[in-house]
This record gives sequence, C-alpha cells and structure tokens, in this order.
Amino acid sequence: MAMTSETSQTIPNRVLGLYDKPFWQLLAETRALHLQRCGSCGAFRYPPGPVCHECLSPDYAWTAVSGGGSIMSWVIFHRQYLDLYPAPYNVVAVRLDEGPIIISNLTGAEPEGSWIDRRVEMVPVPIGAEILPRFALVR
Amino acid sequence: MSRTNRKAAVVGVGHTDWVGDWARVRAGENPTDINGYAAFAFIDALKDAGLKRDDIDGLICGPWNPYERMGELLKLNVRWGDNADAVLAVLSAVQAIETGMAEVVALVYGNDQRSVGTQYGGPQAMGGDAFLSYVYHAPWGLTSQGALYALMFQRFRALYGFEESDLGHVAVAQRASAQHNPNAIMQGRPISLEDYLGSRYICEPLHLFDYCLINDGGVALIIAEAERARAITDRPVYIDAVGRYDLNENATTLEPRLTEFYRPAQQKVAEQVFNRAGIGPDDVDVFQVYDSFSVHVPLALEGYGYCPVGGAGKFLRESGIGLDGKLPTNTSGGHLSETYMQGWNHQVEAVRQLRGGCGSRQVEGARYVHYSSDVAGKAMSIIYGN
Ligand SMILES: [Zn+2]
Repeated sequence: MAMTSETSQTIPNRVLGLYDKPFWQLLAETRALHLQRCGSCGAFRYPPGPVCHECLSPDYAWTAVSGGGSIMSWVIFHRQYLDLYPAPYNVVAVRLDEGPIIISNLTGAEPEGSWIDRRVEMVPVPIGAEILPRFALVR
Repeated sequence: MSRTNRKAAVVGVGHTDWVGDWARVRAGENPTDINGYAAFAFIDALKDAGLKRDDIDGLICGPWNPYERMGELLKLNVRWGDNADAVLAVLSAVQAIETGMAEVVALVYGNDQRSVGTQYGGPQAMGGDAFLSYVYHAPWGLTSQGALYALMFQRFRALYGFEESDLGHVAVAQRASAQHNPNAIMQGRPISLEDYLGSRYICEPLHLFDYCLINDGGVALIIAEAERARAITDRPVYIDAVGRYDLNENATTLEPRLTEFYRPAQQKVAEQVFNRAGIGPDDVDVFQVYDSFSVHVPLALEGYGYCPVGGAGKFLRESGIGLDGKLPTNTSGGHLSETYMQGWNHQVEAVRQLRGGCGSRQVEGARYVHYSSDVAGKAMSIIYGN
C-alpha cells in the first residue's frame, strides 16, 4: 500500500450525511479519530447517527478515541475499482479498544502469517486536503 | 410469521432459456429486456401449470420489474400485488393466500444484469440504498459484496481451521451437479479441486470460482391455495413452513458477519421452520442455499444444524454436498454454475426435485427441500414438501 501523501487524490465516495460530516472535519482538524460518545450510557457510535443504539438517548459528545485496536479480519483485493486503490491492496476490519469495529487499510509493514489479533494503531494519512484514518502495526 | 401448514402450494414453474440467453448476450445481442424475461418465464409457468391467464388473481414482481408496467404487459388485473425478492415473494404469496386476498398468485422475475452491466463491485455497486455496509467503506476501497464475504470467510477459517480447499468442495460439487442439468450455463465445463485452487483470486481469500455467474434471464412461479392446487395438478409442491430472523445490530460495521457469522439468526430460523414443518435437519433431502458466493454454504450448514459449529470443513470433505453426498445441495448448480437468478432458480429446482423427473440429478425419493437465504444477515427459509 502506498504510504506517501497522494496530494492530487481525493478520498473516494464518502457517505457524508448530517452526522458523518463532523467525523471527517474533526479528523482533518486534529488528526485524531473522534467518535460520538453517548451522554447517557457512555457507548461509542460508529457509523455516526442521531440516537444511541444502546439506550436510544440523542445526547452525545464528539470524543477522541485512543486509536488503538486489533485486527479482526483482512482481505487482499486483486482487482482495481477506484483510482486511489491500484491492485493489490488490503482492507482490514479493526476492533477499536473503545468497542466499535472500523473498516480501514493496514499501511506500512504487513504481518507474516495470520493478521488476526495483531495490535494496530490509527495513522492519519493525508489524501488531498483531507485525512483518511488508516492503521499500522504496533511494534 | 404464522404457521403455514400446507395452505399453499407451487403448481407451476417456468423460466427462460438461460443457456441461450447467456450465449446471445455474450455475442452482443439483447434477446429481450427485463420485463420480457419475466413475461416469457410467466408464459412458460402458465403452460407448466395448465392454467389460463384469467385464473391468476395475484401478481408479485421481482425487485427489478416495475409492478404496474409488468401487470399491464401481462394484462393482469388482480386483487393482490407486490414487489419482492425471491424468498419474500414466496412469503408474500403465502400470506396473501392465507388471508384470503388471493387464490392463484403469479410470481414473475426478470434480470438483465449482464447486458446492462450491473455493478456488484466498484463505486456504483448496487444495493447501497438498502444496505449501508455496501457503500459506507468505499473510502478504504471496500466496494464489493464479495469482499464482505471474503472478510467473513478469512476470520471463519482462522477460527475453525477451515482450509481453502474445504471451500473449494462447494464450487466443485455444484459444478459437478450442473453437468446433469441441461439448463445450467456451466454444463460441459466441469472443474476439479486443482482447477479451483489454481484459479485467480478476486478478493483473497476468495477465488474466481467462489463467485456467482452474472447473466440475464427470467423465472416465474405460480402458487395456489392448497385445495385449488390439488385440483390444478396431481403433483403440488407444498410450502410447509417459512421463517425469518434479521440481525440488524451493528450491521454496517459487519459485526454480525465477523463475530458469529450470522449463526444466531440461522439458528432461530431453523427452530421456526423445522418446528412448523414437523421435521428436523435429518429429514431434509435437498438443501438449496442462496449462493452469490460459495461461503454461504458452509455458514448455512453450521447455522441450520446440518453439522456441528466448526464442522463444516469436515462435512464438505467427508459427507459431501454433491448428488451422491450426505446432503445434496444446490443440485441444479446454483448461482455458481446454473444461473444467477437471485434465488429464483433455487425455487424452481426445489419444485422439480419434489415432483421427481430431474433425470440423472434426481435425488431419489426426495420428500423435503429446505431453501435458505442469508443476504446481509437477514436469514430466511422455506421448507417445501410433496
Ligand atoms: Zn446510550
């Protein structure tokens, strides 16, 4: 996976609903991953949304998460669908330490053998004027 | 879902010439359009049932066929109408019949996905309006439904020691069954396990042969109230049970796929349909699994109790899902080797196996067929009996 900042590129096909926009804005401003945290029960939401799926409270605060997690699964695409992703490229499912799963890419070194349960941390990758959250192995 | 208990039966099945449609579309011709495929299948099903058009009093169209235009083309004024995918169309017909809204329902489906180039992967991937997970992860290049099953399978095989070659048995067995089916697009092109393992990856760990065909065609079914069905035909195929359970919690981030592989939903549906039909997994003679990807099969084998949790690899290797296996599965070749009619062709095969007369792919003395679909964690099943 290309590590360099791809300044002429754009992040493809983001879903940018009312509650998604702050997720990307906060990433671009702070380079840290923020999720909505329920003001009533403390659960984290991803994808962002209008109510807490645990307790149905509408209250929340955008809260920085640690960026740490572990890989649940991974795949290697052998076909190109998007300009930003020439084949082969990987996609990983990461279980964040705060609970939610986030789909992303592993950037940098790849593990030998199974990737499952490998510890990773979020890496903010500039794509054009935006930041895309990817993950790298924790050494 | 209410108990069905043989209130409705399939009295007619029809479809277009999938093999011919495939050849013509690949040669750059358009045999017809999406409503034409459905109309030709309807004509075939009417003939199969020995019914006249005026006998039809309900119409259910496939998800891609506009309901009013379809009814207009077929000149069907009806007292029940709906749009639905394969399994929900059967459920809708049963409900209409049970509530007295209709007595003889036509279910018609057409698909021109090959000739119009429907995208199942990439930025314009279909289904995003219904399932946020199909589009939400595009910024990271996760753009195909196959990749969702590849992610699922990668973790599944790591947890249970399931081998890549175990999954190969699905594609190989279904391709072998398709050799006995003149309607199968892949008749005449058998594959071996070596062919499977040597084939290219699309989204690793899934190989080319783990993916369904993409082709044009149509399917129609005619479902009638049980007493009426017995007057129409001496070989009605009864709908003994239907069931459904949906896992929606955390679905967009794939949690139900990656943690329990849809199993809790399938187990709940298994309990519903086997109780309603008064049978168990051992009584099922033929298993029909919605197989947009081969991965559906081992997941369904475990989820519905045909083998223990973690036992699908051994089942595929030793018991088998071929015509001579312990549980003949997708006996027509399914989506991988017969035709990708999005579950509709599986209903046709269920009916044909229960009528008898499937020639060299007939499962002798078949009494019960179980159809299962688990699209995006919405688990649904039908038990057919004769
Ligand atoms: Zn809450």
